[in-house]
Amino acid sequence: MLAIGKVRFVGEPVAAVIGADQLSAQEALDKIKVEYEELVPVLDVESALAPGGVLVHGMDYIGGAFRGFDDFPGGTKNICQAVHVEWGDVDAAFASAAHIAEGEYYFPMVYAYAMEPYVAVADYDSKGQLTVYSSAQHPFMVRHDLAEIFDLPLNSVRVIVPYVGGGYGSKSYTKIEPLTAACSWKVSRPVKLQLSVEEAFLTTRSDDARVYIRTAVDDSGKLIAKQATIHLDTGAYAENSPMVCRKAANRIVGPYRFPHVRVDCLAIYTNTVPASSYRGLGAAQITFPVESQMDELAHKIGCDPQEFRLRNLAHSGESIHPGLRPIDADVPGDIRLAAETLRSNGPLALKHGRSVCCSCSDAGAHPVTLAMVHVYADGSVSVMSGSTEIGQGSHTVLAQIAAEEMGVPLGKVRLVGSDTGVTLFERSTGASRTTTLMGRAVMEACREAITQCKSMAAELLGVPAGEFTEERGGIRHGKDWLSWPEIIERYFQMEGCGIIGRAYLRRAGALKAVPVFWEIGVVGVEIALDEETGKISLDTLVTVGDVGLAIHPAMTESQDLGAATMGLGIGLFEELIYEGQQLMNGTLLEYRVPRFSDLARRVELKLVENHDGVGPYGAKGGGEGCVNPIGACLANALYQAAGVRIRRLPLTPERVWKALQEQKSQAPASQRKPPAAPKTDVTKTTA
Amino acid sequence: MTTLSRFEIDQPGSVAEASQMLGHYGDQAAIYAGGTELLLAMRHRALSYKHLIDLKVIPGLNAIKARDGVIEIGAACTHRTIESSSLVREMQPVFAELESQVANIRVRATGTLGGNLCFAEPHSDPATMLLVLGATVWIESARGTREIPIEKLIAGAYANHLAPGEILTRIVVPCGKSNHRAAYMKFQIHERPTLGLGLWLETLDGGRTFTAARVAVGCVSPFPHRAPVAEALLTGSRAEVEKHLPETAALIADGADLVDDHEGSAEYKRHLVDVFLRRTFLKAVGLRISS
Repeated sequence: MLAIGKVRFVGEPVAAVIGADQLSAQEALDKIKVEYEELVPVLDVESALAPGGVLVHGMDYIGGAFRGFDDFPGGTKNICQAVHVEWGDVDAAFASAAHIAEGEYYFPMVYAYAMEPYVAVADYDSKGQLTVYSSAQHPFMVRHDLAEIFDLPLNSVRVIVPYVGGGYGSKSYTKIEPLTAACSWKVSRPVKLQLSVEEAFLTTRSDDARVYIRTAVDDSGKLIAKQATIHLDTGAYAENSPMVCRKAANRIVGPYRFPHVRVDCLAIYTNTVPASSYRGLGAAQITFPVESQMDELAHKIGCDPQEFRLRNLAHSGESIHPGLRPIDADVPGDIRLAAETLRSNGPLALKHGRSVCCSCSDAGAHPVTLAMVHVYADGSVSVMSGSTEIGQGSHTVLAQIAAEEMGVPLGKVRLVGSDTGVTLFERSTGASRTTTLMGRAVMEACREAITQCKSMAAELLGVPAGEFTEERGGIRHGKDWLSWPEIIERYFQMEGCGIIGRAYLRRAGALKAVPVFWEIGVVGVEIALDEETGKISLDTLVTVGDVGLAIHPAMTESQDLGAATMGLGIGLFEELIYEGQQLMNGTLLEYRVPRFSDLARRVELKLVENHDGVGPYGAKGGGEGCVNPIGACLANALYQAAGVRIRRLPLTPERVWKALQEQKSQAPASQRKPPAAPKTDVTKTTA
Repeated sequence: MTTLSRFEIDQPGSVAEASQMLGHYGDQAAIYAGGTELLLAMRHRALSYKHLIDLKVIPGLNAIKARDGVIEIGAACTHRTIESSSLVREMQPVFAELESQVANIRVRATGTLGGNLCFAEPHSDPATMLLVLGATVWIESARGTREIPIEKLIAGAYANHLAPGEILTRIVVPCGKSNHRAAYMKFQIHERPTLGLGLWLETLDGGRTFTAARVAVGCVSPFPHRAPVAEALLTGSRAEVEKHLPETAALIADGADLVDDHEGSAEYKRHLVDVFLRRTFLKAVGLRISS
């Protein structure tokens, strides 16, 4: 909550003032003088790992059920988590490889800007009931943490999350709720804590990533081995970077068949703002190196990059990770669709470049999702969901599912939640899980309510249930038709009555295999390069959402566009800049997020619906995938446009210009030409 | 959430009264003329004032008038007022166009030209262009009124040459003429421009030769710089001028005190001066810009 004894990053709260209004609280705050004794900070991964260096923490990381990790004894080395993934014989494979590409890549620290900064209202009442209204993404995790911190039983902590103004990962896990609750406990009154955008910048950020990666192919151009070392700068506290660390290590394999893999991923403490979830959870960080290197390797062996991908992509039903769910998507088809759409732009103009890249994430997180529906005698339905509506539109989609199942108009369905005092447990709202897991839970809860209605009908009609048929919204028995609400009213002989249907999903049955589903990100771009300034602009953006079924197509497309636009920010200009221990650009004036004017001239949002997910009607999650491939798309397209390869994001105009200068100084004027490697349009594919 | 400290807004009825208030409150007061920069700085505790003297309520300070070949723009005119003024659009279209590109619509609707110039934020678009348009400003106080060229107003980053109690009341911009060629271009990646370049040329033969020139570059250093040494190279035949553009750009960059910052290295900014001098020149003489 507050730094005790030692402040580990600039922005860590050191004191709290409670005031009757904002201004007087501010004036009291201005009167606090803090004396700091300056300690030697650890400001980057290199010095954090240096032997004998300063330790950010003297203790080990403590995991826990929600974090999904064992405790990690790394505290003596500034390492908060280490993940090792290995199969096959990597060293032998590299020794026998026909070609190898290797390189180091850097993905910057970025901030998941949401229009609504963190806010919480806590009311710790005299009876020991703690009620917190919060902008948290995962109310049940916050409840868990509050119950632990204040030593309260779960039934004494109620976390209510109204509509949230965006999160993109930045609002997952517990943030300002414990401090707000402590303040309320202190004054026995409700207390509100609201951060400004500038303070939100100092609350959480993404892990940056230094990635060394090498990839080997045999003489037929088949991928045989991958080896990678990932160093994540996790900042001053672990938050949920241990999970980012795990996911980055898993996801670096991509949707490709690799017989031999070895990955080491470290999450490392430094004295900077703590890192946490960022849309894609580790996938954006590693897709940039993976998909950049796929192009580099393709060029090295003289193969068209798309052809090279298609040759090595896992098909639906094939396994990419031993022991995990086989691929439940058509990645080659998705790539072809993106490439064909880009190709319809016609011949490539001068100083333009194109690229299609993909990512593959073990999504859905741990499947524990409980839901209930109230079916009322007046024909209305309430869906009680612990999923947070954070702008992604889940309240709409869940209502659609309930309306479909109960056979009522959408307008008759209302969502309740999330509210830990009212709605059943849902582990989290993240990892693109809500449609798949909560959607499935709502569907099953509706079906359970229908089963109850059918027993009631059997009793009312005095016939076995087998003698009537279920029709949308009710049952038919001979000439009679009874709707579910009618059955409920007649059964209880009471107006205003209602029943509950419920569903408990856990890791069993169709949800036994992990991940819940593979989230695929496929993006195509065409860029235009201003060679004089180095400025890249986006000409065309193609997203492909391989979502099984788009229950609400417009919102599914918007999620893809939003994710791609976020990726564009990192690709072109977003980067948190530290000088010493100070964050230098933690305001929206200095930290640039994408604007409408940055969007592509042509935007094509494609949906692929193969009903291959475990969610309702074959649906799978979406919304994170398209953030991941953009950085590599831009770097690959830049290579095609100008022949320079940049292994660090963002591709700022100055960085591009410098690379072009370097290229000119290396090649004599007579040899200067656009890239030698892609002889053909990189988006050309075989059918 | 950090919030503004308590302060009072004082609303004078005249410039003389505003000047008196400034004298009375001394360091405790600042002129408030839109506040788009001032209030941000106050919210972040970079500046602190007990009194803000509201210039916008003084009658007449938001007027735009034409007189003897010049446009007089009241210091409290918002950017939005200027960009939509038919007078400015007709008499000095390049400045109206520039004003229509300042920051964003919210800033333009609130921020004023006088506030922009006096606050002297290093990335000001208008300051750079007013240097090359040969603008002057009127400064009033209890001691009287003086008119000075815009060069004499800006002292550095966030610093102006106003004496205590002095208030900028109007900006005088010479009207464009048919034998003038002028353009302003900027390069922008972040919220504020990385570079702004203004160019003004005089021609007596429809653009074949140039008899006078002014050029200035802004945003790349603590305050916008005119480049008199470079201006000599911008006169003469068009072919000569074009031939010397790289040399001219180098002189502009030399004189501009380029700094490394988050917008870019001095080296990159030097390169941008070269690119944008050529682009601005082509735009001023009315040619399409390739690339």
